[in-house]
Formats: sequence, structure tokens, C-alpha cells
Amino acid sequence: MNVDAVSDIFRRVLENDEVRADSDFFVMGGDSLLATRVLSAVARSWGVELDFDDFMTSPTPDALAKKIASMA
Amino acid sequence: MPYSHPDVIRAFADAANRHPDRLATADNGHLLTYAELAAWVHATAVRLGPRPGTVGVVTSRSAATVAALLGVLAAGGTYCPVDPAHPEPRRRALLAASGARLLLTPDPDTPTSSGAKTLPIPKPGEAVPEAGNDPAYILFTSGSTGAPKPVVTPRGAISTVTGELRTLFGLTPEDRVLQFASLNWDTCLEEILPTLTTGAALVFDERAHSGSFPRLLRMIETERITLLDLPSAFWHELVRHLTEERATLPASVRTVVVGGEAVSPVRLADWCALGTDEVRLVNTYGCTETTLITHAVDLHGPLAPRRTEPWTAGERVPIGRPLPHVRQHVSEEGELLVGGPSLALGYRDLPEATAERFVEVDLGDGPERCFRTGDRVSLARDGSLVHEGRLDHELKVRGVRVDPGEVEAQISGHPRVGAVAVAGATVADHTTLAAYVVPRSPADAPTLAGDVLDYLRDRVPGHLVPSRITVVPELAYTASGKVDRAGSHRRYVSSSH
Repeated sequence: MNVDAVSDIFRRVLENDEVRADSDFFVMGGDSLLATRVLSAVARSWGVELDFDDFMTSPTPDALAKKIASMA
Repeated sequence: MPYSHPDVIRAFADAANRHPDRLATADNGHLLTYAELAAWVHATAVRLGPRPGTVGVVTSRSAATVAALLGVLAAGGTYCPVDPAHPEPRRRALLAASGARLLLTPDPDTPTSSGAKTLPIPKPGEAVPEAGNDPAYILFTSGSTGAPKPVVTPRGAISTVTGELRTLFGLTPEDRVLQFASLNWDTCLEEILPTLTTGAALVFDERAHSGSFPRLLRMIETERITLLDLPSAFWHELVRHLTEERATLPASVRTVVVGGEAVSPVRLADWCALGTDEVRLVNTYGCTETTLITHAVDLHGPLAPRRTEPWTAGERVPIGRPLPHVRQHVSEEGELLVGGPSLALGYRDLPEATAERFVEVDLGDGPERCFRTGDRVSLARDGSLVHEGRLDHELKVRGVRVDPGEVEAQISGHPRVGAVAVAGATVADHTTLAAYVVPRSPADAPTLAGDVLDYLRDRVPGHLVPSRITVVPELAYTASGKVDRAGSHRRYVSSSH
């Protein structure tokens, strides 16, 4: 389901293999610039255009996947 | 609403702008144009200073009294004529009753005993006393002691640089400039001031800051933005998006200005392959202490030198040549020193820090005040400078200068922190801050990272909060016993994931 795909995006953007479903992007070293890469990747994969506010309130693969599912 | 006329001084200024060369006053054969009278009024207002209160004006049937009347009003003061033909006691009584503390007189030798300070009305054409050294704004840079340093920039510096940037950006009244930079950093001034002194339009739009590039690009297109001034790191992400999504930059954009940190040669090569040949890409360099931009170079587009080979990884992209107002000197250590009229006055109330960075250097015509940038540079064959690194430990995080000492000093304030080192770390080709913290007591170790994070978030802005805080048993030290920031980072970086 989406959680694995979102986790993959996190891993690729953060260049960190230790991302889990409950890993907070911003605690793992992500910042607003790297967040734009996640948002672009989400738009490409699911056609959902999220913004910073969506990501800040759903900063884990688990939460972000739910958000994507609710908007797709 | 029968009476809705503009303010009289505004109406005079409008008239002077519309008809600068028309005759304003003919004073016994002495002719003044509107432009000349307006300059005289301005000089009088500057002499009085802002909101001078009631100003007595010793009248004479001449244009000088007109300049004084309008000058008092332009300064925001209250005009009170004083007839020189009246007996001295009467003049004194009237001045006292008017509350005037200043008295403008066409003849500085006129004796007054009114208690008001006497100022001569400036002569027509007299140069306006320079406002150049008056402080215009204060902005802060990172300081190693933990306290940010207030940089005081004079009016003359921002005036000079604003004029230079109008030329550099090639602005015309047709331009529409996006306001992108944070209004708390100096970069926003390079968007605001050149635009509004050209007659171009400044566009604020929240879609620029949503984190969504498709939204940003749609906004640029619908708002017909012609000039973008972006932090290099953000531009890198924009190029990545345009390349990966095969998206195009809206055709309205004719100039993209970047700056704040090193331009990636890989992103630059991608940009050049995007079909942006008609768009000027301008790289810029400058410090808060030398006011906005001191060096610039066209990297791509109609004004850039032709390159036969594409940019490749490992090349260093130049930061540019000095703008015409800039005097530069490269020390034997390779440090860039910048002189000229755009230097700040110094760090407010920090004479030692000011003396350390603002130094006298002989550039050939005797000693000259220069700012030591702390940046190591080399000279490329075309005369542009290439950034080689820092002479101190300062880092650029999201385009903002950060002294790791400032972050260490803040973290040291936490009662359960025994020692701390802050180093620059690279996460997915971005510079971020990594903090290594030794607890005072081992019992604190499990909760200390989160506690320090909360502690910092209450005290410092986001760019000074490390993206990673690692609790470690000890730091690395140099042979001389000082904390080794890079060494501490190297020792623990693999375990900090």
C-alpha cells in the first residue's frame, strides 16, 4: 500500500535507509527544501498536490500515506 | 466631499516631477526651475531634520522664504513668519508665544536673542547635507558568543547598492518582480528597493511559499513575473523539478538571480539543458556587512560568455566580478576584503568585533576601510572570483550564515549539558547542523536530545536548530585541547542515523 511507497520516497530524499513507517521526516534531518522533493514525488506518483502545511501535520510515511489516500 | 485635495507638499512634489524644467520662481531676475526649487526645499527640510516642531522664519521678499516655507512643511514642521522689520522685543515675544525652537534666517548674521536656535536657510543649489552616514537599518548576523551581532548599515550604502542593482538587473517599469525572500533578511531589500525605485511592480503571492513547484510555476505564469531572486538552494530544487517533471519555466521570466550559497555545477548544467537560453541566470555574492550584493556574474543566457563544454560535477561556479561601486582586495591568505561606499558602519555597541572585521587596508591609494569577509577566494582567468571556502568555522545553512559557536553557546545554556560540538553535516547535498551533546550525568542521556531540541526551539530561530542532536559520551579534542567540531562529527556521524 502507499506507506511503503512513501517510505521509499523518504529514504531516497533523506538518503537514509533507516526510515520506518513512523519516522518523522523533520526529525530525520529533513528540512523545507528537501520537503519540496517529497511533495514533487507525491504529485508524480499519485497526482495529489500537497503543500508544506499538509506535510508538517503528517510528517511520517504512515500519516502522509493516509493524507494522500484521503485526497486521491 | 467637496475638499479632497492632496497634501500641499505632495502636490508641489508632483508638480516638480511633472515639470522639472519649467520656471518655478523668478526672483528679481534670478530664475529657478521646479527641479531646482524642489532641491532647495529638500535641502532646507534636511537641515531642519524630521518633525522640527514650530520653526520661525525670518522673512524676506525672496524665493528663499518660499524655500523655507515649503521646507518647514516638507519636514513636517509648523511655519511661523518673523518680520525682520519688527522691533526686537516684539519678535522675541512672538517667537516665544509660537513655541519655536528653531529660527531659519536668510542672513546668519542677524542677531537673535529669542532663545531659538538659528539656522541659515540653505543657498539655492547648495548640496544637501549627506544623509549617507545616517544608519538606515539594523540586521543581525550570527555571532560566536551566542548573541547575534547587529550590523548597522548607513543610508548611503543602501542608496548606492540600490542604484547598482537597478543596472545589474536591467530593470524597467515593465518588470514584475516576485517578493520571495524572507522579510527578516537583507535579500528582500534587493527585491523591494531596486523595483520600487524603477517604477516596476513588486508582487507578493502566497503560492510562492506553499512547497509545491507546480503551484509556484502557475503563479509565475498568471502573475507574469519577469524577475525571480531565489536562494541558490531553492533554485537547485526548482531546476531538479523542471528537469525531472519535464516542466518549463514560464515565458514571462527573463531574469533569475541566485545567491546565498554555492551554485551546484550539476544543477547549472541541467538548467542550461532546459532551453532557458533567453533567460539571464545571474549568480550573486555579498555579505550583510557589505550590503546585499558586491559581486555578480551572468552564468547563462544572453549576457553570459559562451561555453563550449557543459558544466560538470567538481567544477566551481564563479561568484562573480565586483560591481562598479566595489573595491576588492585578496589577502595573502586568500581572504576576500571588500571596500567602497557599501560598507556597514559596524556592529552596534561591539567595538572589538567591529575592529576585528572592519580594517584599514592600503589598496594602492592609501589606507582604506575594508570588511574582512572570512571567505577564501581565488581569481579565475576572466577576472571573476571563485569561492574556495571559509577561513573560520562559519557555515551556510539554507543560505543563512551560521557561526556554530552561536549554537554551541545556546546549547551550553541547558543545565544538563556538559559539553557540546556543532558541525556542518550534509544531508542529501544540503548543509545542515549536527550537534553532539555530552550529558552532565549519564542518567540524563536517554532524554537529553529531545530536551535540548525543545530548549533551542524556545530560544532561537529555525535555521539555528540542528537537524540532528546526538547524545555522545565524549567529544573529540584537538592536540591543543580545544573541541574538534569536525573530528566529533566524524567520530559519531555513522552512528547518528
